[in-house]
Amino acid sequence: MSALHRFLRTPEADAGALLLAALFAMALSAPLLFPGDPQAIAGPALLPPFQDWSLPLGTDRLGRDVLAELFHGARTSLAVGLAAAAAALAIGAVIGTLAGFAGGFIDEVLMRITDAFQTVPAFLLALAFVSVVGPSLGVVVAAIALGTWTGPARVARAEVLSIRERDYVASARAVGMHPLEIAFREVLPNALPPVLALSSVIVAAAILTEAALSFLGLGDPNRVTWGGMIAEGRAVLRTAPFLSIVPGIALVLTVLGVYLTGEGIVETTAVRRGLS
Amino acid sequence: MSLLAVSNLTKRYRRGGKAVAAADDVSFHIDPGETLALAGPSGSGKSTIARLVLRLIEPDAGRIAFEGEDFMALGGAALRARRARLQMVFQDPLAAFNPRATVARVLDDPLRIHRIASRSERPRQIAALLERVGLTADLAPRAIHEISGGQRQRVAIARAIATKPSLIVLDEAVSALDVSVRGQILDLLLDLQRQERIAYLFISHDLGIVRAIAHRVILLDAGRIAEAGDARAVIDAPRSVIGKALVAAAPRLDRSRS
Repeated sequence: MSALHRFLRTPEADAGALLLAALFAMALSAPLLFPGDPQAIAGPALLPPFQDWSLPLGTDRLGRDVLAELFHGARTSLAVGLAAAAAALAIGAVIGTLAGFAGGFIDEVLMRITDAFQTVPAFLLALAFVSVVGPSLGVVVAAIALGTWTGPARVARAEVLSIRERDYVASARAVGMHPLEIAFREVLPNALPPVLALSSVIVAAAILTEAALSFLGLGDPNRVTWGGMIAEGRAVLRTAPFLSIVPGIALVLTVLGVYLTGEGIVETTAVRRGLS
Repeated sequence: MSLLAVSNLTKRYRRGGKAVAAADDVSFHIDPGETLALAGPSGSGKSTIARLVLRLIEPDAGRIAFEGEDFMALGGAALRARRARLQMVFQDPLAAFNPRATVARVLDDPLRIHRIASRSERPRQIAALLERVGLTADLAPRAIHEISGGQRQRVAIARAIATKPSLIVLDEAVSALDVSVRGQILDLLLDLQRQERIAYLFISHDLGIVRAIAHRVILLDAGRIAEAGDARAVIDAPRSVIGKALVAAAPRLDRSRS
């Protein structure tokens, strides 16, 4: 049975994959279904949902199409979530591998730096970073990665500590391979699977952090984000709660989809390990 | 002049607050083209000495001279360059390779690192190495985990001879193989030694094999040399306590049932 087949037979994986597929479809179809600026005025202000079928989810305080904003917001959430997680995993894997493989003084220094980053709450770190550097998509990605690379670094280091004692590392040394090549070509690829298992948690956390930053007004002002939409709706929460509820539901479903998919992948690989 | 001269080699490990000597004042030498066997019960320090000789671990004390040069004084790039002359074959042929590697990549590494062949020449060299150890060139693209244990150990030997070394450390190199394959691998090793005058440091707990292929033997007990001498003479008439025990423990076909 193929890995994909097993993946699709896990119910949580099915649900997660479905949610993620819908999210990707939204993100990809946004410029086709809603060409033009999603932040442009499309109709009367504060139109409730399901009244006017040219604006199915209604409009916000400024008369902007909520559905168009939702679709374009999916692009931001996905882009930031994936980019921040990729950056965090890359930084963490490299630092963890160097620390675990070099050992001694280098290990000590790198792990104390990791401790320092871990002591500061990730969200505060992101907040401070964006406040200082200024809000833009790249800065938000960097700010989130800055607070989340420590988990992958610790997992990678633990894995490398066990791998570096294996015979194939000794044989690479006996062949005369450079230590850096051993670390990144022999050790790191074999230490990756448990690190990658963290990716779903990190993607979900990154999407939430991005939303929270936007909610506080620290997102990229030129992009629609779900966090920003919720913040926008907060002012009229009593009269038009749908403005906060709609992007809120989108956020919940996205994070749920990412978690369930990650869960499904872990399940699939666990079954494979059990069989071999 | 001997190829490898080891003197007063000492390595201690801490185990439960107590220092255990894995190598205790061990001295020996190997001549070019000679096979020296290190034999002893498990825990006697055989593998530690193998790894000390290769400087995969560092000794607490002692000197190693290899090809007339102080091997302990080398470091960094100079040490890596010298490693071409001093290779190793491990006991478990599966554990000794990166689980993601292919046969071609394993053999490519030494050729690339020691600049033995240019990028375009390497595939031909790899094919030649595979044929040299009795395999066929079409094995090159296969993954290491796809081929049999005997084939893997042949690939390990091909990797060891790729850099034309003068000494190969064989750490229980045939112990994990089944008996029919073991004979073929030993024949290959003897053949290589005859043709290329490679010396072997042959580490084994199997006195039958030691007697068959080694010129001289050193019997180890708790990190110390218990007995040393001509392989046949020592195994046929051991004088040390541990030697007698090892010979008595070795299974023999002619032993009568009681």
